[in-house]
Amino acid sequence: MLEILQDILIILLAGYMTWDNGSGVQVIGAWPACTGFVMGLITGDWNTSLVIGGTLQLMSLGVTALGGASIPEYGVATIVSIFIATRTGVSTGEAVAVGLPVGMLTLQLDVFVKYVNTFFAHWEQKLLHEKKFSQMQGAYILSVFIWSLKYVIPVTAVVIFGAPLVNLVTKAIPTWFTTGLEVAGNMLPVLGVGLLLHYMPVKKHLSFLIAGFVLTAYLNLPILGVALLGAAAGYIIYRNETEKTKNASYCLVNDMEGDDFDE
Amino acid sequence: MNNQFERGTVNRLTEKERKAAFRRWTFVAGLGWNYETQQAPSVAFAMSKALRKIYPNDEDYIEAMDNHFKYFNITPQMGNLVLGATLAMEEQDGLKAKDAVQNLKISLMGPLSGVGDSLFWVLWPTIIGGISGYMALQGNPIGAIIWIIVSVALYFVKMALSNLGYSSGTKLITTLGDKINLLTDAASVMGLMVVGTLIATVIKIYVPLTFKAGEVSLSLQTDVIDKIMPALLPVLLTALVYWLLGKKWWTPVKVILLLVVVSLVGAYFGILGIQTA
Repeated sequence: MLEILQDILIILLAGYMTWDNGSGVQVIGAWPACTGFVMGLITGDWNTSLVIGGTLQLMSLGVTALGGASIPEYGVATIVSIFIATRTGVSTGEAVAVGLPVGMLTLQLDVFVKYVNTFFAHWEQKLLHEKKFSQMQGAYILSVFIWSLKYVIPVTAVVIFGAPLVNLVTKAIPTWFTTGLEVAGNMLPVLGVGLLLHYMPVKKHLSFLIAGFVLTAYLNLPILGVALLGAAAGYIIYRNETEKTKNASYCLVNDMEGDDFDE
Repeated sequence: MNNQFERGTVNRLTEKERKAAFRRWTFVAGLGWNYETQQAPSVAFAMSKALRKIYPNDEDYIEAMDNHFKYFNITPQMGNLVLGATLAMEEQDGLKAKDAVQNLKISLMGPLSGVGDSLFWVLWPTIIGGISGYMALQGNPIGAIIWIIVSVALYFVKMALSNLGYSSGTKLITTLGDKINLLTDAASVMGLMVVGTLIATVIKIYVPLTFKAGEVSLSLQTDVIDKIMPALLPVLLTALVYWLLGKKWWTPVKVILLLVVVSLVGAYFGILGIQTA
């Protein structure tokens, strides 16, 4: 009985997340750490939920869907991994190894839903021209429900078929394969870091990247300490630059290097 | 009420109606995302009630809504600023402002998204994500809780942005742009230091190989690689991935697949492994 209630809550969470993450709400978004926290509330298994959420959070750092770009759905990966780990008792690494591919498959649904939305956009405009104004709003709300299916479908499938399937598969998989997946899990955060470096003015402020690395790699300073030092450095730079703009008669134009934001 | 109003009638919104439009945008931005007009359906939905009030004449309303069904894409949070400004313009000048509204939306969405994406989607999630991810790994939910609380509080920032856009119209956004650019630049310094930390801690590569010469055994990882520099392999891998991502062909998904294949092959031959604590 309890498991069924959990299943329902997990599917509802998946649906909620499409709304939260797709709009300007952004309260838990699809951020794995926050999702892991909510999954902890649902499953009652705090430690597993947080560890998996944390693992995927660090793995996904910097991998953001800018400008509506399609990226692996780490939020779905988090839900699925935690579900699998708490129901089957497989290790964190194995659970993530199941969840991440599901997150990547969900990406295909994301693309599909964005295609479907094109038809809705035309339909809404058609209703507008027919002066069916409230139906126009209804059509939009309907499209939001279709939109939520991109998370609800994969999560529901995993909730229904996942646990027995995973039990079956994990018994058949050789150890080198699971080790390999764990090795990949340890390496994958590099993707986020690589992407971040492309978004940020890395050439202009390379010294701070090196400073952050040295503080941790050699001096073992925790990440919060580094972030605070970074805030201090950022404050100095902001003050200096504002002074400069005040002194100069013209406004400083953005000259960040290496920023190739998508629109 | 079919066309009992003359064309060109323009009504003003009450503060409540205005806020309702901004709230609508905040709660739907991006949900109507499609490959043709991107966020346009969401803009239309968000504005539909407010515009109905502004344009009581059906034909006027349809014309104004058609304008908002055109291509638009922006960081959701920054959309509040732009739509605040466009609402003020339409309330003031009605359909005469139609082209100006369209121009404002098109010309601001690029630069504001640049700033908004880097603040709301790159810098903040990197810093708080790094911190809360780390805490979560140790079974500590505080980081995630702080993240959620701050996200809830950001609602008020979004509404403030809307009001700022509304009260200043087109004027302030241009001057504000320069200030925000400075802020982004300063914040990116903080972000880069955190990224430096991440390279040293989050990316883990372990080579379990050992060389045996008679009695002496030499671990490649602890006796050679770590002696050169801590986190040497993660630094090299970061450089490689950074370089690959600069190439058109290497999408993030392809990089993920490459890393998985390398890991599987490495694990099969015993070159790569998991460090036992």
